[in-house]
Amino acid sequence: MARKDLLDIASLHREEIEFLLDQSTSFKKLFTRSVKKIPALEGKSVLMLFYEASTRTHSSFEVAAKRLSAEVTNFNVDHSSITKGESVRETIETLQAMRTDYIVVRHSHSGLPGMIARQTTAAVINAGDGAHEHPTQALLDAFTIKEKFPDPRGKKVLIIGDILHSRVARSTSTLLQKLGVEVAYLGPGSLVPKYVPATIPRFTDYEAAMAWGPDVVYLLRVQLERQDVQFFPSVREYHRVYGITNTRLAEISDRGLYIMHPGPVNRGVELCDAVMDYERSLITNQVENGISVRMAVLDWLTPGGDFPRQESYVAPQRANSTVIMP
Amino acid sequence: MILLQNARIASENSPTLLESDVLIAEGKIQDMGSKLAIPEGARVIDARGRILMPGMFDAHVHFRAPGFENKETITTGSEAAINGGVTGVVMMPNTRPALDSASAVDAVLENARHRARIPVYTSGCVTKNREGKELAEIEGMRELGVKMLTDDGDTTADPAVLLRAMQYATEFGMFFASHCEVPELAGPRALNEGVMSYRLGIKGSPACAEEIIIDRDIRLARAAGAHVHIQHVSSKLGMETIRWWKSRGDVKVTAEVAPHHLLFTDEHIGDYDTNYKMNPPLRTQADCDALLEGLKEGVFDLIATDHAPHTPFEKAQDFVSAPNGITGLDTALVSLYHHFVEPGKFDWDLVVKRYSAESRRLMGLPVAAIEVGQPADCLLFDTEAETTFTKDFMKSKSQNTPFIDQTLKGRVDMVILGTEVLLER
Ligand SMILES: [Zn+2]
Repeated sequence: MARKDLLDIASLHREEIEFLLDQSTSFKKLFTRSVKKIPALEGKSVLMLFYEASTRTHSSFEVAAKRLSAEVTNFNVDHSSITKGESVRETIETLQAMRTDYIVVRHSHSGLPGMIARQTTAAVINAGDGAHEHPTQALLDAFTIKEKFPDPRGKKVLIIGDILHSRVARSTSTLLQKLGVEVAYLGPGSLVPKYVPATIPRFTDYEAAMAWGPDVVYLLRVQLERQDVQFFPSVREYHRVYGITNTRLAEISDRGLYIMHPGPVNRGVELCDAVMDYERSLITNQVENGISVRMAVLDWLTPGGDFPRQESYVAPQRANSTVIMP
Repeated sequence: MILLQNARIASENSPTLLESDVLIAEGKIQDMGSKLAIPEGARVIDARGRILMPGMFDAHVHFRAPGFENKETITTGSEAAINGGVTGVVMMPNTRPALDSASAVDAVLENARHRARIPVYTSGCVTKNREGKELAEIEGMRELGVKMLTDDGDTTADPAVLLRAMQYATEFGMFFASHCEVPELAGPRALNEGVMSYRLGIKGSPACAEEIIIDRDIRLARAAGAHVHIQHVSSKLGMETIRWWKSRGDVKVTAEVAPHHLLFTDEHIGDYDTNYKMNPPLRTQADCDALLEGLKEGVFDLIATDHAPHTPFEKAQDFVSAPNGITGLDTALVSLYHHFVEPGKFDWDLVVKRYSAESRRLMGLPVAAIEVGQPADCLLFDTEAETTFTKDFMKSKSQNTPFIDQTLKGRVDMVILGTEVLLER
C-alpha cells in the first residue's frame, strides 16, 4: 500500500483514505501532550516549494513536518515573476541533486507536481496545483466532517461558490463521494460549468439547494485575485445571491447545519461576520486538523526507489541557439 | 530504370486496386501492363502484394526555418516527409522572421532548393509579422509562386483587415487559409472545454471559439469573392458549418482535416500527456465521428498533418507550459492505413484523393498519378508489414507525437520521385 507521492484524490483507494484518516486521529491525540514531537522522520528532509504564496497551507505543512522531527527547508521562489514550466525543470534538476526526501509543492499550473514526481526520487505532495487538486485539503475536510459524523455515509454536503477554479471543490467532492457522502454544487452559472460530473447535482438557487437538505454548507473562497475576467457583476451581488447573509445564518442555525470554509475567508463576501462566532462553524477545526492530516500523509509516503525518468528528457538548449543545417 | 512487377495500383478514381507491371525510366512512367518485358539493365522489383500509389502531398507543415532550427530544418522536415511517403509540402509562414515579404520567401525557397529532396512550397502571411494589422507584401510573394496566404497559428483578428486582404489578393489569384479561433474564448491552453478540462483543472477552449471564425471567414470570403481554405477543423459543428456553406454553392470554400483530429479525443490526454496538446485541441468522440463522416462526404477536401515539431525539452514541461502541436509527416500515411483503410472505414482511393490529388489541386499543381507518360512520383506500400515508430525511425528532428514507440500495420517501402529513389527499406 506504500506510495511515493500524493498527487491527487482521484487515484486514492478507499482503504488508503480510511488508513490516512485513522492515522490522523492518532496524530491528533499527540497535540494534547506536552511534548508534541515524535521522531518518525528524524534525519529526513522536507523541502517546501511554493510557487504561489500561501501562509496557511505552508505553515501547516511546516508544523506537521517539524512535529515528525523532519528538517524543513524553504526553497526560495520568486513570486513576483511568472514561473513557467521551463524554469521549474531547472529547479527539479537541482532538487534531485540535493536528494531531498519530501517535496511539498504548490504551483498555479495543473499537473506540475506530477511532473516533479516523475523526475525526482523524493516523495512529492501536491499542496495545490492550478484548478486541479489539493489532496491534503480534502483529507482535512473529510477528517473534520468525520469528527462530527463518525459514519458520514448518506450525509449531504453543499459546496457553494467558484467551482470552475477551485481545486478544493474537485478534491473534496471526490473524496467525500468515495466515503459515501452526497455532494451538490451551487454557484454562479459562469463559475459552475455545465459539464461538472453528473454524479454531483447542481443547484441554481440558494433556496432550492437548502431544500435538498444539506448537513454541511461548505463555502469556497471567492478568488478575486485569480479572476482576470469578470465572472459576476459585483461582490455585493455575490454576497446577496450566494453568500451566507445574516438572514440565511439564522436559518442555518435553526436547522443545525455545519459551516465549513477552506480559508482565508473574505468577510462580507462568502460569509457575514456573524458566522465567525457561529457555534457550528468548523472553520478553525479545519485549520487545526490540517496539521494532523499532513503528519499522517508525510508519515505514510515512501521516498526513493527508481523514478521513471521521462524518456524524452534532454538537456536544455540555449534559448537563442540554432543548429547549423547540413 | 525500374520495373515493378505485379504491383497493385491505387488511384483517386476507384476503390479497386488495379494489378499491373510498371516500368519507370528517365523520371517517367514509361509503360504499364501485365507481364511487361524486362528491358536490358532494368532493376526488377517483385511488388506482388504491395500497393503502388502516387506520392502524398501535405498542404500544412511547419518546418520551423528560419528561426527555430532546433525544432526542425527544411532538410529534416523534408526527410520526415519522404519517410512517410510524402513527396511535396506547403510550409506555414509562422517562422522567425515571419514569411511576410518577397525577400523572406525567397530565402526559404532558395534554402529548400538546396536542402530538400522534394519540392517544398511555402505560404505567405496575410499581415506583416502575423500581427493582424498591416497587409504583408502580397504581390511580391506571388511573384515567387506563393498561392496561399495565412496567419496560421493565429486568426487574423480584425475582420476588416482580412476582408481588405481578400479583396486585394484575390485579384492576383491567391487564396486564404484560416486558422480559426477567437483568442478571447479559446484561451492559451489548447484543451477542449468539457469534462476533461474540468477534471484536469485547465481552462478549456470551447468548440465555438473555432466555429465562430469558420463561419466568419467564409462570410468574409463570400463578401470579397475570395477562396478561403479552412485549416485543421476539429469540431462537429465546424464540419457542419462548412458543409452548409458548400451546399449553398455561392462561395469558394475548401477545408482540411488532420489525422490526429480523426483519431484522438481529449480523453487521450490522460495524465497531462503533452504529446496530445495541440491547437485546435482534441475534442470528443462525437467530433471525431463527425469529422470522419465529413471526410468521406468530401466536406473536407484534403487531409493535412499540421506537422508541428517541438523539442523534447519544450514538450517535457508540464501540460500548461508545453507548446501546442505534434509532428505528423513520419506517421500520417501508416496511421491512416492502420486505423481506417485496414479496418474498412474507407478505401485507398480516399487516401489518394484527399492526401495527394486534392492537396496538389488546391495549390494549382499537376496531380501525381500512376499513368503512362506521367512523371514518376510514387510510393510502394506494404500492407502486411509493420512500422514501429521508434525515435530512430523518425526523421523529423522532433518526436513530439502520440505514435512514439507504437507499432502500426503498414510500411512505406519505397519512394520514387523523378529519376531518384528517395527511400528504400
Ligand atoms: Zn499549423
